[in-house]
Amino acid sequence: MRHALSALAIATGLIAPAIHAEPLKVAIIESLSGSQTSTGRMYSSAARYVLEQMNEQGGYNGEPIQIKDYDNGGNTSGAASQFRQAVADGAHVIIQGSSSAVAGQITEDVRKHNIRNKGNEIVYLNMGGEALELRGDKCHFHAFHLTTTAPMRVGPLVKVMAQEGDLGDRVYSINQAYSWGQDMEQAIKSYADTYDYEVVETVLHEVNRIQDFAPFVAQIQAAKPSSVITGNWSNDLLLLMKAVGDSGLDVTFGTTFLDQVGNVANAGKMALGHYVAHPGNAELNKDPQDAEDYKAFSGHYPVYVEPGTINGIRLFTEALRANDFKGGDIDVNRIALAMEQARLETDIGPVSIRREDHQAIMPVVVSRVEQGVKYPADGTDMGFKPIQVVSPEDAIYPVQESCRMRRPD
Amino acid sequence: MRYRFLLLALLVVALVVVPPFLGLGWQYTLVNALIAALFAAAFNLLMGQGGMLSFGHAAYYGLGAFGVLHVMQLIEYGDSRFPTVLLPLVGGLIGLVSGLLAGFFAARRSGVYFALVTLALAQLLYSLAPHWSGMFGGEAGLSSMRMPSLGLDFGSNLQVYYLTLAWTLVCISLLYAYTLTPFGRLTQALRDNEQRVRFMGYNAHATKVLVFGISAMFAGIAGGLTAIANETANYQIFNSHVSAQVVLHTFIGGSALFFGPIIGAAVITVFTFVVSGVTHSWMLYLGALFVLVMLFAPNGIGGVIQAHVQRRDSLPWRRLVAPYAVATGALVLVALGTVFIVQSLEIVFSEQYRAAVARTGQYADYSLFGMKWALFSPLTWLTPLLPLVAGLLLLRRTAARIRELWAGGGDPSACPPKVPGATLRSRA
Repeated sequence: MRHALSALAIATGLIAPAIHAEPLKVAIIESLSGSQTSTGRMYSSAARYVLEQMNEQGGYNGEPIQIKDYDNGGNTSGAASQFRQAVADGAHVIIQGSSSAVAGQITEDVRKHNIRNKGNEIVYLNMGGEALELRGDKCHFHAFHLTTTAPMRVGPLVKVMAQEGDLGDRVYSINQAYSWGQDMEQAIKSYADTYDYEVVETVLHEVNRIQDFAPFVAQIQAAKPSSVITGNWSNDLLLLMKAVGDSGLDVTFGTTFLDQVGNVANAGKMALGHYVAHPGNAELNKDPQDAEDYKAFSGHYPVYVEPGTINGIRLFTEALRANDFKGGDIDVNRIALAMEQARLETDIGPVSIRREDHQAIMPVVVSRVEQGVKYPADGTDMGFKPIQVVSPEDAIYPVQESCRMRRPD
Repeated sequence: MRYRFLLLALLVVALVVVPPFLGLGWQYTLVNALIAALFAAAFNLLMGQGGMLSFGHAAYYGLGAFGVLHVMQLIEYGDSRFPTVLLPLVGGLIGLVSGLLAGFFAARRSGVYFALVTLALAQLLYSLAPHWSGMFGGEAGLSSMRMPSLGLDFGSNLQVYYLTLAWTLVCISLLYAYTLTPFGRLTQALRDNEQRVRFMGYNAHATKVLVFGISAMFAGIAGGLTAIANETANYQIFNSHVSAQVVLHTFIGGSALFFGPIIGAAVITVFTFVVSGVTHSWMLYLGALFVLVMLFAPNGIGGVIQAHVQRRDSLPWRRLVAPYAVATGALVLVALGTVFIVQSLEIVFSEQYRAAVARTGQYADYSLFGMKWALFSPLTWLTPLLPLVAGLLLLRRTAARIRELWAGGGDPSACPPKVPGATLRSRA
């Protein structure tokens, strides 16, 4: 009898749980294998960096935030499958950045999930999908776009280049033939009157297929532009810049992704003097310890998509702090509503969310490749010298009419 | 024969009964596995039975998916009353028409040239789709929502699973029945000797086009099921890796057997889901699996099973039990050793670990299999090497024994077929 009793006591001890609060579960569905791995890892590590800092300060809702990586393999079917797994694991928040196509899949999956599972909603934090459509046609209440878009990059870019006298009055637009390139071309044309330039020619070319840009360079040469604005990334940017350099043509490039890791090393001296508009530049941090902390965490200073991601996730943690569930159940809708109110003061200006389409209103930094910068890129002696920070109000663009957001009652 | 039916019935019962008890992730993986199985079976009709290796089957799969999505959008936004249950038919129809069209051109050539034409046609769609936003929704693709139909709301994954299961079972049965028809025999004759088919008075080209069309039709149905399950599709569905994947499934499963590709697709889909959830190196494991199957069981998993089934009466099963058990154990040892080494390397070369080294200046112990390991301790590396080497040696010895039993253990009149033991010889 005594044995039975003690067994019972042990059993109840095992079964009766210590009263635990509901932990916040964050799923990072990134491209962790395949060709986009290097970018995917950056989003994941920048997001983890901020969330783990919050865990060091006591976590959220009385529990450490549970962060889990899911590998979408860089494609939409992988993302769809990992999304289901994240739902099965009870995720409250999904973070994803690389590829607008994957972002399109996830934002739609989240929207449908939330329609079908009232009370168990999920919030999607888009850290890198820049396609305008995501905040237009595909916008919905539970999706937040914590990254720039084409108009937010082009506006500041041409503004600063004009001020520096590097834009000139003849702008050449060359972009990739898909939604991003089309958004870029549209943005380049739309700022022509404001900054007093003429778009001498626009070109859309195949994405990452062209090995030799010489014919395009000949076309550029014939148009006699003063500057070239391009949203190209990866090989399309490198090969284009190299072809222009080889031809001896003297134009300034205004780019959006020149800060992608490896570009400066690959382009060499040819990169000097060209511009990039990006969401952040570590050189502008008031406290140098920030970049050192990140380096201690990830092994390198924050570059490329990382400064923007860090700010975006920090804004999210502000929204978390605004809601105290006192160890009870987490209400994702309340977090989403708090996101709309959240405001983060960064060293380069405030970041907040536009209520109408959940686009982040954020400062944009325009930098120029120079020697002797504080954080040289890719082990070279060159890096991105911040020229000017364009304020959030100046960088933002009007809400797209196609966004019709249904809000929870 | 009776055993086979019993086995199939058991499998079907398991597929019906088990999923409600599984998590969402698993349910969705099973949906994917079923779709992949149907796609592989459709592909193998062309490759295994017709002898035509298509490198562009993603085209018909994708067209089926987009066709179904268009109809789904009509149901969602319009007042179309097309029942959701019959949606895959749309995919099948589109697959059939596009398959006949593509087959007409591709089947004019055979062998490598045939493969290249199919590849080119699929790549054509791949580069066209992102630009044709009216048809393929541009880069973001098309999206729709499953609407309630015939009293079912199709909101839960489980309903989608049963819809997929029903369609997959029906289609695979049809594909199997096809192999038993005279036309199915003719398809096999095409593979074995096209010249002879022509001399027998058949129109070889027309037959090939028809086989291509039927294969594309079932691929289209599989694509339609994907569209229903994902509720989205974008141009990536035409990517060559989708075409390559079905080839991979078919080869791992074994193209000579009807059920081979089905087994291959199911195994690989589940393997990918499980392993990619655990480690970032899942592609390495998948590749290793492929290489091993190609090296030691060129007829695939299905081929190994078939070899056993064929010799079931002549094999000395009782004497084989022990060596098979030992071989399994040895394989587990080798796998454990390999996994230990790969995972150790993954951890040590990870950004986090390197950052920690840069920060602290020392190589900290890492945890694996619930234990702490010192990076530079010989013990850390002996631990995986020991089971690895022991397993390999053991495998070598048992393989010899198994070969012996296969060769002479039974009825001497039985011809020596291609068996795993025979292929293991190349290692010894």
